[in-house]
Amino acid sequence: MLRKTLVALMFAALMVAPVSAQTLDEVLAKYVKARGGADKLAAVKTMRITAKASGGGGPEIPIILEQKRPNKVRIEFTFQGLTASQVYDGKVGWSINPFGGKKDPELMGEDQLKGMQDQSDFDGWLVDPKSKGVTAELMGKEPVEGTDAYKIKLTLPSGTTQIVFLDADEFLEMKSESKRIVRGAEREEEGFSGDYKEVEGLTFPFSQEGGPKGAPPASRQKLTIEKIELNVPIDDSRFVMPVVTTPPAAPPASPALKPEEPKK
Amino acid sequence: MNTKNYWKWVSSTLALAMVFAMPLWAQEAVKVDSDTISGLGARNIGSATMSGRIAAIDAVNEGKRVTVYVGAASGGVWRSINGGTTFKPVFDKQPVQSIGAVAIDRKNPKTVWVGTGESWTRNSVSVGDGIYKTTDGGDNWTNMGLKESERISKILIDPNDSNTVYVCVPGKLWSDSDERGVFKTSDGGKTWSKILKGANGSTGCGIMSMDPKDPKVLYASLWDFRRKGWTFRSGGENETAFSGSGLFKSTDAGASWTELEAQSAKGLPAKPWGRVAVTVAPSNSNVVYAAIEAKIPTDGLYRSDDGGKTWDKRDRSQFMIWRPFYFANLIVDPKDENKVFKVNLGLILSTDGGKTFSNVSGATHGDYHTVWINPENPEHVIAGDDGGLWISHDGGNRWWKSDNLPVSQFYHVSADMDRPYKVYGGLQDNSSWVGDSQYPGGITNSRWENLYGGDGFWVFTDPSDPDYVYAEFQGGFLGRVNRKTHEARIIQPQALPDFPYGTAEKKLRWNWNTPIHLSPNEKGTIYIGSQFLFRSRDHGASWDRISPDLSTNDPEKQKQEQSGGITVDNSAAEMHTTIYSISESPKNVQVIWAGTDDGNVQVTRDGGKNWSNVTGNVPDVPKASWVSWVEASPHDEGTAFVAFDRHTFGDMSPHVYRTTDYGKTWKRIVAGEAGVQGYAHVIKQDPVAPGLLYLGTEFGLWITLDGGQQWAQYKGGDFPAAAVRDLVVHPRDHDLILGTHGRGIWIVDDIAPLRNLTQDNLTKDAVFVDGRAQMQAVSNFSGGWAEGDAKFSGQNATEEMVITYYQKKRHIRGDLKLEIFDDQGKLLNTVPGSKRRGLSRATWDMRLIQPKLPTAASSAGFAGAGPRVLPGTYTVKMTKDKDTYTTKITVGIDPRAPYNAEDRKVNFALAMRLYNMLGDMTFTADRIKGVLDAANEALGKLDAKDPNKARMAAFVDAVGKIRKEIVATKEGGAITGEERIREKLAELYGTVALLYEGRPTKQQSDRADAMAADLADVGKRFDALLAKDLPALNKGLEKKKLKPITAMTRGDWEKKDAPKVAGGAKPGEFDALPSAGMNIGELMEHLRLR
Repeated sequence: MLRKTLVALMFAALMVAPVSAQTLDEVLAKYVKARGGADKLAAVKTMRITAKASGGGGPEIPIILEQKRPNKVRIEFTFQGLTASQVYDGKVGWSINPFGGKKDPELMGEDQLKGMQDQSDFDGWLVDPKSKGVTAELMGKEPVEGTDAYKIKLTLPSGTTQIVFLDADEFLEMKSESKRIVRGAEREEEGFSGDYKEVEGLTFPFSQEGGPKGAPPASRQKLTIEKIELNVPIDDSRFVMPVVTTPPAAPPASPALKPEEPKK
Repeated sequence: MNTKNYWKWVSSTLALAMVFAMPLWAQEAVKVDSDTISGLGARNIGSATMSGRIAAIDAVNEGKRVTVYVGAASGGVWRSINGGTTFKPVFDKQPVQSIGAVAIDRKNPKTVWVGTGESWTRNSVSVGDGIYKTTDGGDNWTNMGLKESERISKILIDPNDSNTVYVCVPGKLWSDSDERGVFKTSDGGKTWSKILKGANGSTGCGIMSMDPKDPKVLYASLWDFRRKGWTFRSGGENETAFSGSGLFKSTDAGASWTELEAQSAKGLPAKPWGRVAVTVAPSNSNVVYAAIEAKIPTDGLYRSDDGGKTWDKRDRSQFMIWRPFYFANLIVDPKDENKVFKVNLGLILSTDGGKTFSNVSGATHGDYHTVWINPENPEHVIAGDDGGLWISHDGGNRWWKSDNLPVSQFYHVSADMDRPYKVYGGLQDNSSWVGDSQYPGGITNSRWENLYGGDGFWVFTDPSDPDYVYAEFQGGFLGRVNRKTHEARIIQPQALPDFPYGTAEKKLRWNWNTPIHLSPNEKGTIYIGSQFLFRSRDHGASWDRISPDLSTNDPEKQKQEQSGGITVDNSAAEMHTTIYSISESPKNVQVIWAGTDDGNVQVTRDGGKNWSNVTGNVPDVPKASWVSWVEASPHDEGTAFVAFDRHTFGDMSPHVYRTTDYGKTWKRIVAGEAGVQGYAHVIKQDPVAPGLLYLGTEFGLWITLDGGQQWAQYKGGDFPAAAVRDLVVHPRDHDLILGTHGRGIWIVDDIAPLRNLTQDNLTKDAVFVDGRAQMQAVSNFSGGWAEGDAKFSGQNATEEMVITYYQKKRHIRGDLKLEIFDDQGKLLNTVPGSKRRGLSRATWDMRLIQPKLPTAASSAGFAGAGPRVLPGTYTVKMTKDKDTYTTKITVGIDPRAPYNAEDRKVNFALAMRLYNMLGDMTFTADRIKGVLDAANEALGKLDAKDPNKARMAAFVDAVGKIRKEIVATKEGGAITGEERIREKLAELYGTVALLYEGRPTKQQSDRADAMAADLADVGKRFDALLAKDLPALNKGLEKKKLKPITAMTRGDWEKKDAPKVAGGAKPGEFDALPSAGMNIGELMEHLRLR
C-alpha cells in the first residue's frame, strides 16, 4: 500500500512539473542560458565555421563561414577548384561567383541581400531582440514533429518574419520558418537545427538542413559543421568589397539600405 | 535524518519505485501516435489537370496586384498573392477541408473569414465544423464558432466595421438542427446571435447579399432542404408541400426582417419555393435580382428596380432554372447593374438586365458555382466550377484554366504493374484517368491521360490484357476502353426482359458509385453489382448473375423519380438499395463478400450459389447503415472487415468491424475512444502484416499497427485532413497510394517500415527499421520542360538509397550521422540523419565524392558527381551521440536497365579510371600552377638588371603555355568555348560515369586511352622543362637569398587535397550552380548558422 502511494506521488510529481505558463522573456532567458549565457555569448567577437553542405541532389561543398560582430558575414564555398564568396559588411552585400568564368565582385541583388541581412546578426535575433529592433511574440506551444516546442514569432527590421520553435525542455532551436518579402512576393523557407554540441562553453547546432517550406526532406540542403572557432582574428577588410576594374552595376533596389562606395 | 541518510533513503525509494513500476510499464503498449508514423513522408502527384470543384472565391486588389482566396469543395483554402499565377494551400492544418464561403475584410485584407462545409449539397458533399478567421493572411486560423453549422454558404463583412460579420448558414444536410439561419457578430466573432431563422429544423440560410452603399440593407434567402441516401429535396417533399424557403430583407442590419413574397412584393411567384439566389447590384441599391426555384413555369429570374418592393419576371432559360440546389448564385457586375452572371452547368451572362442570357462558358469545364468580378477592372473575372478555377481578361468571354490547383476529387484509385507503376482513378464530374507515379522532371499535368467520361469512379487496368482498362461513369455505365485508340465497348449488364410488362424486374439498380471488383485469384475475372452481383470471365462480353437481390429492396427507397423537392432531380445520384462494395477473398475464390448501401452485409462461400446475410450479427449498428466498404482479409479466408458510413443519417463517426468466422461474429475495431475522426470510407488490411490496418475517413488516413487497439492519424508530408475515399498498397513496390476526395492522389513511398515497427522496436531508443528492397534507378537525361510558375507538378520519389530508422525521442544533443561502408569496410560517405521522434528517413545518393578538378577559368559541367557505387550490400552505421547502431542495406539494379551486373562493372571500371585520371590531371595542373605562381613571384622580386630576370620570364612563359594545354584560362564570363584537357576529360567522364551505366562505347574507351596518353605527355614535358631550367634558375635565386622554386610531390598534394567522401550532383546542374544550385544567401536563409 505504501509503495503504491509512493509511486502514485512520483507520477503525480512528474505530471505536474512541466505544466507552467511561460512568458516570452522567460523563454528567451532560458534560450540564452541554454546557449551558454549572455556573458559568454557577448565575449565572442568573431567566429569561423568550417562545414560541408550536401544533399538536395547537389555535390558536396566545403564551406567556410566567418562572422564578426555586430553583423559582418563572409561565406566561401569551393567547387572544382573555384571559390565563391558571399559577403555582407553590415551595409553592402557583394559576391564573387567564379563558376561562369567571371571573377569580379558584384553587388548583390535585393533577393540575396535581404537573405544575408536577415541572417547577419552575430548572436541571432533571439538574443536581446528588442535592442535590435526586432519584435518578438510568444505564440504558445506547438509540437514540431511530435516534440513540444515554444513558438516565437520574430519580425525583423527588414520586415521578414521568422517563426522559431524552441524545444520545450532544452530551449534550443529545433525549427525555424521564415517569410521574406522580396518585391512584394513572398519567399518561404524552413530550416531544422540539431546535433547540439558545446564549444568553449557555448552550445551550437552542428547539423542544419533547410529548403523551401514544404519541400520533401530528401531535397533539402544539409549542412554538417565540422569545426567552430571562436575569437579567431578576422580582419575587417575581409568583408569589404574589393575595388573592381569596371564600375559596379546600379545599386540594388533595396529601399532600406544604400550600398556605400567600396572602400579604397 | 542526516543528509547522507536522506540521499540513501531517496535512492532506495527510487530503486524500489522502479522495481515496482517496471512490470506496469512492460505491460503497457508503447503509445503510437501521429508522429510515430508520420516521418514516412507522402507526396502529392495531383493532378491539377482535372483539378476539382471550387465552391467559393474572394479576391481583393492590393495595390496593383490581386490577392485571391479560393475555397475548394473538399480541398481546403488556397491563396494566391499574384492573381492566380501560384497558389498555396493555407488551411492544411485545420481538421476539415470542405469550404463553403470565403470573405476578405476590405479594411484589412490580411483578415479573412472562411466558412467550412460546402453548401452545393450534391450527394458526395462533405461537412465542415464552423467559421474560421485569420488575421495574418492565412498563416494562422482560429475557429470562431458555429461548430454545429455543418455548412456555410456566405459571409458578409460590414465594409465600415470589421467586427460586424453576417454568416449565412444553411445548416445540416442530413439531419435537423438548430444552428442554421443568419448569424451576426458585432465583436469580431467572439459571440454570435441568430438574426434570421427558418420555420423548421431543415430550413437554413440559402444565400445572402449586402448593399455596399448602405451595409444595413441585407437580403437573405431561407432554404428548406434535406438529403437522404435515397432522396433529396430542395423545398418541401414535393412541388406543392410546405417549404420553409423564402426571401427576406432587412434595412436595420438584421435587427428586423421583412419577407418578400407574392403578397408583400408584387410580381414574385406563389410559394412554395426551393432554393433562391438573391443579389443586389453594387452600383445601384434599387436593383435586386432573385433566381427563384418555384413551381414551373413561375420559376426563374426576377428583377426589382425599387429595392425589392415590386418585381418583374425575367429569364427562365434552361440554365436559369436547372438544378437550383447546385447553382443558386447570381453575380452582378460591380459597375454595371444590367450585367449579371448566373452560374449553372454553363455559365450564362446577361447584359440587358436579365432579359436574355448567353452561354459564356467557352471551353471551360462547366457546373459553375461562383464568380468574382474585379471591381477595379470588371473585364477581369475569376470563376469556379466542378473542374477548377478559370480566369478571364475579357469580361468572361474567354478563359484561362488554372493549372495549379490539385484539388481533384477522387472516388477510387488503383495501380498497375508497370515500372514505374501507373495510378488510375475516377473523379467527381471529372472522368477516369491514368497518371504516372514517377516521371523524369516531375509528374506534370501532362503526365495524366483521360480514359473515359462523365463522373469517374472505379477504374482498373485489365490484368489479362494491359491494352485495356475497365472504367465507368455514374450509374454503372461500365466500359472496356482501349488504351491506345480510346475506343470504348460498353459492357454494362442489362436487365432481364421485362415481357410481358411487369413480369420481370423493372430495372437494374446501379449505385451512383457502382462497385467494380477484380478477382484477386483469377486474372481477368471481373465483378459488378447492381442489386444483383454479376461476374464476367470474358472481359464483359457476357455476365453471370451470381446472386439474388442482395439489398433490402425497400420500395420506399426506390422513388427517385419523385426526388428533388420543387424541381425533380433524378440523376442516379440518389439510386438506392444497391450493392456498394464487393470483395473476393484472396485466399479462396469461392468466398465473396458484398455490402449494400441500405445496410446488408452478405457473404457466399460457394462462389455465389448460396448467400448469407450476416448483417444481424454485427453488434450496435443501426439497421440500414450504408456499407461503405467490405474487405476480405488477404491473410485468412474467414476474416473480413466492414465499414459502415452513417453520415447520411447525420452520424459522422466511424463504424468499423472485423469478423474472423465468415461473419458469424464481429468485433468493433474503432472504438469511440480511439480518437478516429470522420465517417469511414475504406478499411484495408496490409497484405504482409496482419495487424497493420489502413482506415480512410472523411477527415484523413488512420493507421493501426496492432489490429485496431491504437489508431494514429497519418500526417506525413503535410498530408491534410482530406477525405481518403480509397487506398491501395502496391503489391510489388509496397507504396501506399491514397485516393483523396479533394486533394488528388498521394503516395507514401515504401510502407514496409510500418510492418517492421514491432512492439519490441517501439521500446528502443533508436533502431533501424527495414524497408523494401532498393535499386539503383536508371539515370534520366531528359524529362519535363519549362512550363512557367503557374503549373502544378507532382513530386517524384527519391531515387537515392533510403535508410529508415526509429527514435523514441527527438535527438537534440551530439551527432546524429549515418556512415556508409562498402563490403571491404571502406567508408564511402557520411550523411546527416533526421532528428524527429518516431520513424525517420535519411538518404544517400550512392555516389562517391565528385572528382577533383583543377582551378581554371570556369567550372566544368559533367564532373560534379562521383560514380555511383556498384549494386551490392552496404553497411550503415548510425552514430547517435555516444551510441552506435549498424545495419546492412542491399541495392540491386533497376529491372528496367538494359545492362546486367557484368556490364555495370565494366562501366564502373572505366568511370573509376577516368575519375582517377581527373585526379592525376588535377595533381599535374596544381603542380604546374604551383611552379608558375612561385616563378611569377620570383620574377617580381628580381631586379630588372638581373641577368636571371629574362631567363625567369622565359620560364614563366614556357610553364604558362604548358598549363594552358590542361586548363582553360580565358576569363570574363563569356562563353569562351575554350576546351583543354580538363574540359574534354570532364566531359568524357560525365558521359561514362553519370549517364548510361552499361558498357561504354568503343569510342569512349579509346578516347580514355588517348587522353591518358595526352596527360602523360604533358606531365613528361613539364618534368623535362623543370629538369632543364630549374637548377640554374634556383641557383640564381639562392644568390639573391630568394626562395627556390620547388614542384610539389604527389604525396604533398594528396595530404592537402585528396578527396575525402561525398555525395554528388546530376549532370547539367553544375552550369547553373552559382545561381540556382547553391545560392549561399538562400542557403543561409534556412541554414541558420549561429
